[in-house]
Amino acid sequence: MKHRGKGIGCMWYPIGFTVAANPSAATVKVNEDGTATLVTGTVEGGQGSLTVLGQIAAEELGISTNDVHVVSADTDTTPMDTGAIASRTTYVTGNAVQLAAAKAKEILFEIAAPILDVKPDQLVAAGRKIQVKNFPQRSLAIADVALQAQFVHGRPPIGTASYNPPTVDMDPETGQGQPFSTYVYATQVAEVEVDDETGEIDVIYMSAAHDCGTAINPMLVEGQIQGGIAMGIGFAMQEEMLFDGNGLQINPNLSNYIMPTSLDMPDLDIDIVENFDPTGPFGAKGVGEPTAVPTAAAILNAVHDAVGVRITSLPATAEKILRAIKQDRIAGQKELSTAG
Amino acid sequence: MVDITITVNGEKRITSVPPETTLLKLLREKLNLTGAKLGCDAGDCGACTVLVDGVAVNACLMLAGQANQREVLTIEGLADSQKFHPLQKAFEELGSLQCGFCGPGIILSAKYLIDAHPNPSVEDIRKALSGNLCRCTGYTKIIEGVAAACRKIAGATDKAA
Amino acid sequence: MDDKARVGERKTAPKSLPATDEALRLPAVTKKAMFPLETITAKPREQTPSVGQRATRHDGRLHGLGQTKYIDDMSFPGMIHAKIKRAGVAHARIKSIDVSEAERMPGVMATLVGKEIPVNRFGPTYQDQPLLADDIVRHAGDGVAAVAAVTEQQALDALEKIRVEYQPLAPIFDPLEAMHEDAPKVHMGHSNIYSSKTVNKGDVEKGFADSDYTFEGTFSTQMVEQASLEPHAAIAEWDPNERVTLHSSLGRITLGRADLARVLVMPINRIRIVATVVGGNFGGKNEITHEPILALLAKKTGRPVKGVYSREDEFISSTTRHPFIMKYKTGMSKEGKIMARTVRLICDGGAYCSWSDTTLSKACILSAGPYNIDNLRVEACAVYTNKTMTGAMRGFGAPQVCFAYESHMDDMAKELGIDPLEIRLINAFREGSLSPTGQVLESVVIKDSLLMATERFGWKEWKK
Repeated sequence: MKHRGKGIGCMWYPIGFTVAANPSAATVKVNEDGTATLVTGTVEGGQGSLTVLGQIAAEELGISTNDVHVVSADTDTTPMDTGAIASRTTYVTGNAVQLAAAKAKEILFEIAAPILDVKPDQLVAAGRKIQVKNFPQRSLAIADVALQAQFVHGRPPIGTASYNPPTVDMDPETGQGQPFSTYVYATQVAEVEVDDETGEIDVIYMSAAHDCGTAINPMLVEGQIQGGIAMGIGFAMQEEMLFDGNGLQINPNLSNYIMPTSLDMPDLDIDIVENFDPTGPFGAKGVGEPTAVPTAAAILNAVHDAVGVRITSLPATAEKILRAIKQDRIAGQKELSTAG
Repeated sequence: MVDITITVNGEKRITSVPPETTLLKLLREKLNLTGAKLGCDAGDCGACTVLVDGVAVNACLMLAGQANQREVLTIEGLADSQKFHPLQKAFEELGSLQCGFCGPGIILSAKYLIDAHPNPSVEDIRKALSGNLCRCTGYTKIIEGVAAACRKIAGATDKAA
Repeated sequence: MDDKARVGERKTAPKSLPATDEALRLPAVTKKAMFPLETITAKPREQTPSVGQRATRHDGRLHGLGQTKYIDDMSFPGMIHAKIKRAGVAHARIKSIDVSEAERMPGVMATLVGKEIPVNRFGPTYQDQPLLADDIVRHAGDGVAAVAAVTEQQALDALEKIRVEYQPLAPIFDPLEAMHEDAPKVHMGHSNIYSSKTVNKGDVEKGFADSDYTFEGTFSTQMVEQASLEPHAAIAEWDPNERVTLHSSLGRITLGRADLARVLVMPINRIRIVATVVGGNFGGKNEITHEPILALLAKKTGRPVKGVYSREDEFISSTTRHPFIMKYKTGMSKEGKIMARTVRLICDGGAYCSWSDTTLSKACILSAGPYNIDNLRVEACAVYTNKTMTGAMRGFGAPQVCFAYESHMDDMAKELGIDPLEIRLINAFREGSLSPTGQVLESVVIKDSLLMATERFGWKEWKK
């Protein structure tokens, strides 16, 4: 017989390294036509970081994502980066990118200000223009300013900056300190159907609400949540590296190491929690790892709701579920017989 | 050495390889078509999927000799000189791929499905892709991409009709 | 004398090339264009402001065309292939390694053993891991020797001819057993407990005393693998000015360069690491693996050397996620408020430290959950075992402890007769809450996420 259940898993997760310095540096160059190049030492791992970083540079310069070309991943030519780890790229490298773009923009403002007859701090960059704050009709095309900067004033608009999240050392005995600059929060809720004859779990539906600060690129955030949930499903129910008595792996291959296929994904509803972290670039934090964190908890809590058994070791295989259901029945029968 | 005559992406190729060479190695190393990927070399992950005489196969499991006199379509042959394939367009627009390593295999598995079933259900798509592993995306936007491509093709067919 | 006279008359007619050779000479590019002429206008990419746009990815287009070049898609003139022999035994002393027969195999250009590596130890926290085991093998996937040959098959064939003599040592696989004083030691002269972390806040004894109920739960998780679709791959190439370039699937090239400099004893500016798109990382490509080995083989042979992990190598020789054993004890008021919590975490740290220290720190801090707990004690340790080394994998301990604290929470909710959503809302962080380490938390939206996800789910209305 099949039983349905619902379960919640919620979590918090930090951005960046635990206390340790984990800086990133970036360089932004504005070309003579107002397009730009971003040079970053980060490495694209599939999450779309280069697109997001390009969007951050574009936002700071008031130009479009397409106007920014991103160069990355070469220790000879790109500045140092601690790497795409600990969900830090959008926040740490992103802050470095914003700061670098701001420096390049500063040069553009210094060139534009006298032409527009204002002070540099009265200017903003938006819509591919350098315009006066609150008086947008007085503006110059960013292309014109960039050209003038380089060829008339001899000041190519280029900026390099680095960022490292501020932390406070943790006391070795109490652990008290400020190990991270910021954290993100999320909840995933799962609906499962458990077959009490086979022990199989079918994850039917999940809703996920994730905080990432500002979502620089919502499409990419969704992709991370979907991918993270897939990994969470594998962790909850399928994946396990098995060793024999001699310490050799029994299943070091993809036919016997079971991981999620297209058939294993539930219907999903994703919400991005609206939030703004002033310490992040345009309010952004991060999302890469948190997405895989609460999934197993949500699923196993739903199993608990469905068939009343608590699986305390992962993965929750069909065998474990069946065994737990049987033990539960036996215990229940014992209770009845002692009660009667 | 075995002599192989094979039509790849519409072009006839004649070559000669050691008999144990897989179709995958032939494509990647002899013909420089690196779109099909080596993920496991055991037929488990689907990253090497190509179409042989229109049928999706794991190229790592097929010997080059078995592809003799056959027509092979790899990802490099999917778009023509004028247009992207609707699957490629939809995948780009919807952000269906992340690291992209599974992409060529998945796109060709999807093509195999939609060539035979132009209007697949979500369940049909899931089943057709079940032999292609993806670790990044959770498959969600991939399935959306296939469905979107089908709608585009259907729309274009309606227009043409 | 003109050229023709100097070169002389052709004595015999040139042989015409057989048809197959001719075909091989054609570039393997189809008559069609490399990519279509059609330009796709990606509107979100052209819009300002940029933040918030569903901008498509440039590499997304290349992925669809099959044009993204991963490391294994790259080839250099003269490039040869390397393979690494794995120990196949979980704990042993290496008595001897004989590569002489392997060196005589067809196509073999060089071999490498651990003793030839200038500094044969690396690691992000403790440098306890060899590139190639030179004295002790600590897990079955430890590399013991490497071969570079003209083809991959030749390299694999040569691996079989490498003779390694082992003196078996008693292995230890269970982390709880490994903690005992008299357990076999994975690293000689060191306790198997190689890292400990504590968080201590408030007064747990008082907190438990003030509680109406006390609940306990023990949870455990398994070893899993990042299993990215792209196996680890790298190509090493030297130039005549003693600079080495690594094209690598590494996700952290600044660190990788520093590691290479330390291991090869070279100035940092003589090392270049270039990455392209990594075919999935998830933490498994965050430290060097075979790069120094390839660099040394490339130096020995004077040829670019490519190494690609097999799928089996991916499982047995690359880092994995730490199995955790987690013991929770929580004191609750009858209204469902957490009064005190103790957590004990034991992480199976595998054969080498890798990212265990970081994982332990994070897990320790996160293990209390996103809940206001005034009285908290967490004790965590990482333990060596003779299994695949555990390192960084998406979450650094968070998925494990979240499974534990959220399962525990639901167990308590059931006993207290409180709805799982309610009990979380009662205890969840607010703006300005203190974290387990005493940090004032800002930009806190855990309650918002709880309400949003459960509302979307239809939590209150949902019926079985």
